[in-house]
Amino acid sequence: MNWIYFRRQFIDRTAYVCAALATLLGLVFLFWILWTTISNGVSAISPKLFTEMTPPPGAEGGLLNALFGSGVMILIAIVVGTPIGLCAGVYLAEHGRHTRLASAVRFVNDILLSAPSIVLGLFVYELVVVPMKHFSGLSGGLALGLILIPVVVRTSDESLRLVPDRMREAAFALGLPRWKVSMQVLFKAAMSGIVTGALLGVARISGETAPLLFTALNNQFWSSDLNGPLANLPVVIFQYAMSPYDTWQSLAWAGALILTTFVLVLNLVVRLFANRRVFK
Amino acid sequence: MKPQDTPIKNSLISTPEPSESKVPAGKSVKIDIRDLNFYYGKSQALHSVTLPIPDYAVTAIIGPSGCGKSTLLRTINRIYSLYPEQRAEGEILIDGKNILRKADLADLRRRVGMVFQKPTPFASSIRANVAFALSYYEKLAKWEQDERIEQALRQAALWDEVKDKLNQSALSLSGGQQQRLCIARTIAVRPEVVLFDEPTSALDPISTARIEELLHELRGQFTIVIVTHNMQQAARVSDKTAFFHMGELIEFDDTSRIFTNPSVARTQDYITGRYG
Ligand SMILES: Nc1ncnc2c1ncn2[C@@H]1O[C@H](COP(=O)(O)OP(=O)(O)O)[C@@H](O)[C@H]1O
Ligand SMILES: [Mg+2]
Repeated sequence: MNWIYFRRQFIDRTAYVCAALATLLGLVFLFWILWTTISNGVSAISPKLFTEMTPPPGAEGGLLNALFGSGVMILIAIVVGTPIGLCAGVYLAEHGRHTRLASAVRFVNDILLSAPSIVLGLFVYELVVVPMKHFSGLSGGLALGLILIPVVVRTSDESLRLVPDRMREAAFALGLPRWKVSMQVLFKAAMSGIVTGALLGVARISGETAPLLFTALNNQFWSSDLNGPLANLPVVIFQYAMSPYDTWQSLAWAGALILTTFVLVLNLVVRLFANRRVFK
Repeated sequence: MKPQDTPIKNSLISTPEPSESKVPAGKSVKIDIRDLNFYYGKSQALHSVTLPIPDYAVTAIIGPSGCGKSTLLRTINRIYSLYPEQRAEGEILIDGKNILRKADLADLRRRVGMVFQKPTPFASSIRANVAFALSYYEKLAKWEQDERIEQALRQAALWDEVKDKLNQSALSLSGGQQQRLCIARTIAVRPEVVLFDEPTSALDPISTARIEELLHELRGQFTIVIVTHNMQQAARVSDKTAFFHMGELIEFDDTSRIFTNPSVARTQDYITGRYG
């Protein structure tokens, strides 16, 4: 009809097409990665993965020790990271809410959140591995825990601050002390957000490789000794994928698929939790 | 000119003696507010308010919105202390002790309960909502606690509706039921004073009527202070009425007097709906 109308329509269409193309591009890579992982990984999946240890070069084997090691270290990370993260989150959102210290801690926590994980690995290396004079599963778990802490701090702080003031006031108006208000009323109201954050944190650390190179290193054999080097999935994938041996390479694919599936499932669980929030 | 005139007058006629309560009301002063000034940061919301609130009576606080009614309530249980930029000056004597000075805030708030404008059930079961503060303050055997929960829910006129689903989420209740649950939760710890901040403004007429009935039941058991901007409600439920305007107490008197023969012109204007 008129010139301005066509111009606006043109800009609108162009913006739409650009956005759609960008989305498509992102999705293409995502599915490409998923497809490569699945197609290469599925053929390598076998029951032996879960019953045999990582093999010597060129031989057949499984991933049992690596799966176990990863599981143990993630568990250590959760045990160490979540309570500290939660307490700090409660401090930031409730006790220290209006203080300068809290804003300072929030700022530092944000830095920690975006710090390269290799730096945290190096930190634990200096702090734990060097004095102990050897690599260990314990230090690996600590390094992962250190990465988890800022994630939990951030998400619990934010979920707690999302709880409306009138809930807080209602609880205080009953004459309850602050700890009781935080622990019971506010935690319950913020629970889905906190769990979601913690699970996303676990998803993040389960694929971390760099910090483990400095700490848990790797172990070709079965070991449940936290005081010594511990096998783990990310480092095994790293090492085997770079190797020239076919059997190692296919184990690396299998490991990658397992890891991806684990993270996917965690995200689905997170979805379930996040949806539950709606009913409030 | 004033369509509001008639309903107010009518309601006054239909509730002949609003100042009748089980215990002789107004004999002694429970909460003695003296020269109270309140500040939100730099802006002052209350200007030297002096208000003696009688024991075991229902005192209504009325006035146009923004005149400081909620602010006044929030000083009495010191809930404003949660926010560092809010500050009160003056004296509030409860049973002779100035609670603005040194006070055990948790204990003060147990003795001075508060019910808010919007229902605020906690995200747990109906039973847990009532047991929550109760179990913190009194170490009771299970049967004793159950009894107290039932008693509180009965007092709040909610028992019959929830007795078969005490373990269900409190969030599944209707708005009016949630508000009565909040009342039950507050009176379960046996406070001396209960503050109501427009407890029915978020509710439908039927729930409102139930809560007003409930206020009638509760009068004489506690010292009640109720904020409302519904004047019929004030006339129906209270013994004494305080009229506020722009942070100042304009008039405080027997409810029957305030609504029939106020001594200040501004009060007259407000209750007859000339502004507000
Ligand atoms: N949190 C707050 N911060 C700053 N000013 C506030 C706050 N709450 C209330 N006020 C102001 O204080 C005055 C009294 O408010 P309020 O006590 O809530 O009035 P009412 O309950 O009578 O409607 C109003 O002018 C309002 O704008
Ligand atoms: Mg108000």
